[in-house]
Parts: sequence; structure tokens; C-alpha cells
Amino acid sequence: MKHSRHLSAAALTAVAALTLAACGGGGATSADSDEPIPIGVIADLSGATGDVGTPYNEGMLAYVEHINADGGIEGREIDAISNDYAYEVPQAEELYRRYVNDEVVAIQGWGTGDTEALRTRVANDELPFMSGSFSEDLTDPEESPYNFLVAATYSDQIRAALNWIAEQSDGEEVGVAALHHDSPFGTSPVGDGEEWVEEQGLAIDYSSHAMPSGTTNFAGLLSQVDDAEYIIIQNVASPAAQLARDLAAQGGDQTIVCLNWCGNELFVTAAGDAAEGHVMVQPIAPVSTERPGHEELLAYLEEQGTDPADVTVSYVQGWYAMHVMAEGIRHTLAAGEDLTGAAIRESLETMGPIDTGGVIGDGTVEFSADSHRGSTTSGLYEVKDGQLVVLEEAVNP
Amino acid sequence: MTAVETGRHHTSYRSELRLWHTRPQIIRMAVLAVIVLTLPLVLDNYWLSLANTAMIAAIGAIGLNILVGYTGQISLGQGGFLAVGAFTSAILTDRLGMPAPLSIIGAVVLTAAVGVIVGLPALRLKGLYLAIATLASQMVILFIVRRWGFLTEGQGFLDVARLEVFGFRLDRANFEQQWYMILLVLTVLAALTATNLFRTGMGRSFMAVRDQDIAASAMGVNLTRAKLTAFAVSNGYVGLAGALLAHYTEILSWEKFTIDVSILYLAMIIVGGLGSVAGAVYGAVFMTVLPVVVRSIADVLGGAVPIIKNQLPAVEHGVFGLTIIIFLIFEPRGLNRIWQRLKDWFGFWPFRY
Amino acid sequence: MSTFVTLLIIGLSEGAILALAALGFVLIYKATGVINFAQGEFLLIGAYSFYTAFVVMQLPIIVALLVGVLVAVIVGVVVERFILRPMVGQSHISIIMVTIGLASVLSAIVQMFFGTNPRSMPAILPRGSVSILGGTVPVNRLWAIVLCAVVLILLTWFFQKSRHGVAMRAVADDQQAAMTVGISVRRVFALSWALAAVSALIAGVTLADVTTVEMNIVNFGLLVFPVVIMGGLDSVPGTIVGGLTIGLVSQFVSGYMDPGLAEIVPYIVLVLVLLVRPYGVFGEKRIERV
Repeated sequence: MKHSRHLSAAALTAVAALTLAACGGGGATSADSDEPIPIGVIADLSGATGDVGTPYNEGMLAYVEHINADGGIEGREIDAISNDYAYEVPQAEELYRRYVNDEVVAIQGWGTGDTEALRTRVANDELPFMSGSFSEDLTDPEESPYNFLVAATYSDQIRAALNWIAEQSDGEEVGVAALHHDSPFGTSPVGDGEEWVEEQGLAIDYSSHAMPSGTTNFAGLLSQVDDAEYIIIQNVASPAAQLARDLAAQGGDQTIVCLNWCGNELFVTAAGDAAEGHVMVQPIAPVSTERPGHEELLAYLEEQGTDPADVTVSYVQGWYAMHVMAEGIRHTLAAGEDLTGAAIRESLETMGPIDTGGVIGDGTVEFSADSHRGSTTSGLYEVKDGQLVVLEEAVNP
Repeated sequence: MTAVETGRHHTSYRSELRLWHTRPQIIRMAVLAVIVLTLPLVLDNYWLSLANTAMIAAIGAIGLNILVGYTGQISLGQGGFLAVGAFTSAILTDRLGMPAPLSIIGAVVLTAAVGVIVGLPALRLKGLYLAIATLASQMVILFIVRRWGFLTEGQGFLDVARLEVFGFRLDRANFEQQWYMILLVLTVLAALTATNLFRTGMGRSFMAVRDQDIAASAMGVNLTRAKLTAFAVSNGYVGLAGALLAHYTEILSWEKFTIDVSILYLAMIIVGGLGSVAGAVYGAVFMTVLPVVVRSIADVLGGAVPIIKNQLPAVEHGVFGLTIIIFLIFEPRGLNRIWQRLKDWFGFWPFRY
Repeated sequence: MSTFVTLLIIGLSEGAILALAALGFVLIYKATGVINFAQGEFLLIGAYSFYTAFVVMQLPIIVALLVGVLVAVIVGVVVERFILRPMVGQSHISIIMVTIGLASVLSAIVQMFFGTNPRSMPAILPRGSVSILGGTVPVNRLWAIVLCAVVLILLTWFFQKSRHGVAMRAVADDQQAAMTVGISVRRVFALSWALAAVSALIAGVTLADVTTVEMNIVNFGLLVFPVVIMGGLDSVPGTIVGGLTIGLVSQFVSGYMDPGLAEIVPYIVLVLVLLVRPYGVFGEKRIERV
């Protein structure tokens, strides 16, 4: 009895000490390998911003499929590893750790909270990180050396909006309330908007409030801002649409100016009649504007049998975000460099303007060693008869 | 030589004070030590990071267990206390330039103090009322974390610099391995001190409060002192876990400290086994590994049942709830009891009992 | 003045819905002693099952309501039979945790089938707004107050006068004595869970109508706790008063101070109440025997 017990204990130890197979990835970084290019995608499909996150992710993955069908980048396919993190920062961190373990060469992220949270890690791990977040904090290469924003920052958007409002009121003082999501995503442009009003000496009485996230009762919030003529909303489409409906129900006559994450077709559909007459600031051109860059996307959709009318601007945004990154990778491979994160970053910073066929901003996205802000231009649109109609083509703050 | 003792017969005070008495216990501990020390050589970085997260959770769970399992005070405020510990340590290290070990101790002390403040209502409340009061503390602390610009310098989240202890800076290449060692030492210390706490008079008074607090006070246990000390000690552990969380993940945002985190910790101690330190550790490891297991199963089943893959976060959430329910219905004393039953089965075989 | 009126009406409507949801919770607690952390999820299931019947399956509104009631009753009875029955006699914390687990499972199921995107539902209560004392008040909010008040009155009458209601109160008072006089305690348990689910259904549907069908409805469930604590866990009129108070206080704080603060004000009020009256405003002191 005694001996068998000791033996079994020893056997247990031996078994327990067996290695867990840890597969290494290796090989994808070499310049002349044929291996697929792994890119990690952190997406919000079922979380708080999932209403815009889902089409963004779909557009991105559609681009990958499209490119792979055409032979990939310099003959190498893109292997997009995409997972849902439901807008929870801890989940994003976990996904990030997994992707680093899977040896990806770049990451497509999403939310402001997690992008800002991961930026030092990303810099330490030397992984270029493009995000759905356009927070201005991410454009300074000193603080976020590996983050790249493809379109106008939220702060640029709010500046453009404030300029437009000042123009509309012809010098008379107007009240502007900035209502935002209760998170870093929401607060990102708010302070910069206030500074802009002061710097430019605009005749605007600026105030800001957080839209509480756990509720759909905006009545209290609206009664706090009923002395403002304009309401700028920095939030995603659904809460913004709810606010628009509550505003209409309470008989308010303020004009809503939506920044890019609620300035889309989803807002119009969700708010219905309450969306009429409101203004959208949108750096990505919606499909209705029929820019040259839309053709490729629409052709792909036709092949898939999808109705182009169902395509929202978030889908276009996802498509082109991946396009910009793919161009950076192409530049790296074409120059014969090893496909590492640092090399891709170098390419993006030095390759000059990347053409997006008029879709993002004024059509081109350009990074440099001093600025990771790809573009500063936005378009202004008005909702007329349920459609986004161009108000002003290209505005820069 | 069975796993079940037929009674402990001590012949000296020294032998009575030992933590582990029987030979099989010591052998099991030795085997565990060997496994645990060789893990960093064997696991890849992702699994090591899971192990590290599990260890931090274990420290927090041990703390919560002291309060809920041993003293019977229901607490839904775990997320908030983790936040207090995390932000304190981060701010002390980065803004006041204190050395990391000191700021961690500072975090422990401050969280314990906050725990006492929250525990003050506990003196008058029982059961559900106490649970709701701690829920209120969770909501209020979370609100402060979200809105108090001072904490995050207006950014909405807080970056924490890499841990530096007496000039020795953790490096990127061996980040997980180095943290593993640090956390291993701290977790073992936490477990040992918690186990020893319940061999002292103070610890026994906690258990008396749990079982029959009115009878305990009739016997001479100072209820106020016992309850407040329980809150303080428990939150000290939680503060340690929070501080370690801050330095390990190097990024702090309010999403890490929501009510879901409080519920997760409660689930850990329930699944692991209320009222046992080992149970808290088992529960922490189980709950940390559970989402990974769900994900692997989803990968396998994904082809047949696509809804699982598409709604993976919802499925993880559902499995979490289901686990709690199943454990509570079928084995309310948790993993700890299952392990004991397993040992007993081996011990009693071929007899039934 | 106009803001005051708007806020008052909206606050009352939120409070009425909250009181209805809380009533379900109190029902369960009075009859079975179980603390139901999944009340918010019952609201959610009520709203979504009605949505499925009304919008997805395009059934007429009465039929959709009946479907909703049926689903609610089934969920209530199943939960009581298979999850709570095995837990009889277990400690407080175990029962709380089981309902927390249940809450996770229920909300996960809803999320799996419906996603987190808000769904729009055609209006049940009349839309439009009306001007009262200078303030613009959405009509559906007024209707919500009326509807909830009617249901609350019906439920109160049910408890006072009807046989089943009296049986429930008997079981809540003293289970053993009730069994002695021939009341089927098991049936009363099932009935109380079913009724709680139905009241949650009505509250959920009303809430979904004045706002929208989405996952945030769940947060109402957490707000139930300050309400029942204020009202005292045992008292039905207390719950109604508690609900209206919390609804009004939240709304006024949201309108005149900070909307974010309005989310935690109920909890602050709760703690203040508990410090003064540990058993709630209307609750009875529990006598413990050692």
C-alpha cells in the first residue's frame, strides 16, 4: 500500500510536469515568406457601441476578403483575426494579449477607452494600431507612437461644427450644449471644443453634459439644455436617436449636430421623423455621395448580392480603415523590408498620401513622423427626407 | 495510510501548531509546489498572463471570503474596493513618487480604512439590507471613479508606469514570468496569513459572528470590534489585489470595477467554497479559466451552432450564470467540497464511507 | 415652472413603473422569503417577449399581451420549480447568488437572440404631447402613470379581497399555520413567482413603450432595491410610496443638477434611510431568536 502510494505520487508529478504544447507562430515576419499576414481585429459587435461597430467590422472583413480574392498584398493573404470584446476594456486587453501571443503584425482596434488604455503597451510591443476611435490624444507621436487615425479627430469635427454654428448665427451669441457619451470616447472632443470657442472668439455660450449610459430617459438632461439653440452630440447612433425622439416629443426646436459616430444612416433610421433637419459632421463620405472610391466597394457588394442601400457609412469606414493599413503593409513589402510592426509604422509615416478615392476627408490620408492624424477634413450633411444631403463638402477647422 | 485521518493526536504544542499534519498532506503540498514552480518554464505568455490574473483574483477572493464566508457579512462592494486599492497605489507611485512596495502598503491601509467606513452601517444591518448597503457603496465609489477628474487627470483612464522595485525594473521580455514570481510569493503569503487568522481568537470571533451573532455577543465577543475588524482585514486583502491589478495591467479605467466584477468575485467564493481559503483560490482559478474554456468549446461547436460564435460575450455571460446555479443546486459547498469528496473516495476505497 | 411640470410627470411615470416592478419583488419576498436579483431580467423578458409577439410575429396587441403573460407565467413557474425549490433551507447568500446567476442566464439568453441593438416598437400608448401649466408633457407618460396605477390598485385589491391573495398573505405570515388550514404552499409559491413575472411584464412593456426595447431596461432591476428598502420589504403601500419617491427624486436631480448624479441618488437616499431606520421606512423590525 505504502509503496504504491508513493509511486502514484511520483507518477502524478511526472505527468503534471509534462509540457503544454505552446505552438510558436514564427515565420510571418520575414520579408520573403509566403505566409499569411496576421492582423488582429478588436471589434464591438454586441456591446454598447455595437450598432455602429458591427457594420464597421463587416466592412473591414469584407475588404480583407476582397483583397485576398485578388491575390492579397504582394501575393500574401491577410489573415484577419477578429473577435468581439463587447466594448469592455478588460476584454480588449485580453484580446490584445492573445493577439500578441499569436504574433500579429498590426492591430485594428475600436473604442477610445481601450485604444487609449492600450497605447503604451502597443508602443512597447511595437504594433501599429489603427482604431475606430478618433480621439485627438492619440495623434501625438510622442505619447502614442504607434497609433494611427485615418480620419479627422473628434476634436477637429467639433471645431468644424462650432465654426459652422458660428457662421449660421452671424455673430449673434448662441447657446451650444455638447452632450456626450459618459466615457473617454465622449469627453474626448468636449474640452477641445471649449478651448476652440475661446481661442477663436466665437460668439457661443458653450456648456457640456454627460449622457448617462444606463438609461434611455433623457428628459432631465434635455430640460437642462433648453436654453441652447444647438446640441452637439458625441455618442453613437442609438442614444442620439433616442435623444432626438425625446426632443421632438417635448416639442424642442434645437438643431442637433451629430459628430461622426451618430452622424450616419443608423441615426436617421432609428430616429425616424425626429431626425429631420438635423446636421451631421461626417469625415467619411456616405455611399449616397457617389465618390470614385465607392465603386470598388459597391462592385464587391453586388457580387455578394447585397443591396447597396443597406450600406451605412460605418461599413465604408471599416473598409477604408483596413485599406489604409493594407497600403502601409504593401509599401513595406514592396520595399523589401521585413514585415514587422516597426517597419509598417515607418512606411505609414514616410509613404506620403494614401489615396482613398475621395472617401475619407478630402480624399487622401497622410501620416508623418510628427503627426499620426491622417486627415483633418470632414463633410457636413443635413437630414432631408430621411437622406443625408451634402451641406458643405469639405470643412477644415 | 489513507487520506482520511482517524483523529489528530498531538503530543506537543509544536505539533499542534503545524499547518499540515499528515504525510499525504505534506506530499500533496510538495507536488503542488513543484508544479507551480515549473509552470513559468512551461506555459506560453498568454497562459502565464491568465495564471497571473488568477492569482490576483485569488488574493481578492481570499479577502472577500474573510468577510462573506467567515464573518457572514454579505458584500456587493468588491469592485469599488478594488478600485480604491488600485487608484491609491497608482497615484502614490506615479504622482508622489513613492516606491512601489510602500504605495502598495498605502493602498492596503487606505482600502481597509474605506472598508471600515462602509462597514459602519453593517453594525445595524443584516442580510439583504446589508447587501444593498454595500451595493450602494459600490455604485457611489464607481461614480466617484468615473467623475472625479483628479483620479485620472481628466483623461478617463490612468496609465501606470512599469513596476520598479528598489531600482530593479521589470522588463518587457520576461514581464509575465517576473510577475508570476512576485504574485506567487504574495498569494502564498496571503493564503498563509488568512489560514492563520482563523486559528487565532480574532478569527474565531468572526466565525462566531457568522453563526449566531447575538449568542456571540452574549458570550463576550465584542460585535462592533469583530465586524469592523472583519471589514478592515477583508478589504486590506482586496486593496492588495487592487494595487497589484494596477501595477500588473498598467492601465486603470472604471470598466474594471463595475458591479459585474463584484458579482464575479462572489461567484468565485461560492463556486470555490464559502468559508475556506483553499476554496477561494480554487474559485478564482476556475472563474478565470472558465471564459477561455467557453471560447474553445465555442470554437469547436461554432460550425454546428453559429449563434454561439456570433454572440460569444452573451454566451460567456450565460455560462457564468449557469455555473453559479448548477454549483449552488448540486454542490453548494463548492469546489473545495468536491475536492474533499474526491480525497475521501480514494481514501475510503473500496468502502463507500 | 414648465420644466417642473414636465419633470414631475416624467418622474411620476418612472416612479409608477418602478413601483410596479418593485411590487413583483416584494411579492416574491413576502411569500417565499427569496430575494430576487433577477427582477430586472424579468422586466427584460417581458418587454422582449411582447416585442417578439407584437412586432416580429405581427400578432394583434391583445394576443401579443396574452403571449407575453403566458411567457411570464411559464418563466416564473419554471424558475420557482427548478431553481428555487432545490434551494429551500439554504443560507441567505446562496439564495441571493442563485438569483444573480439566474439574472446572468436570462439576460444572456435575451442578448443571444436579440443582440444589444435597441429595437423600435410601434407605439401602444398614444404619442404626442400636451401642454400642462406651461410644460410640454408627452402623453404616453401620462398614460403610463394611469396604466401602472390601475394595475397597482388591481393587485392591492387582489391581495386584500380575493381568496388566492389572502392565501398568499397567509403563507407570508406563517407557512406552517397556512399549511395546517389546507393552503397549498407550493401553489402559492408558484403563484407568487408567476404574478411577479406578470407585473414585471407590464412594467417592462410600459417602459419599452415610453422609451425603447433594449437591454438597458435591466438597470431598472437594480433600482428596485432602493425602492423596496425605502418601502420596507414587507409592505405593499410602502413599495408604491418608495417607487414614486425614488422616481421623482431621480428625475428632479437629473433635471436640476447632474443627470449622472441622478443614477446614484437613489442609493444615497437608501443609505441615509437605512442609517435612521434599518428596516426601511415602512418595514417592521425583525425579531431574532437565538
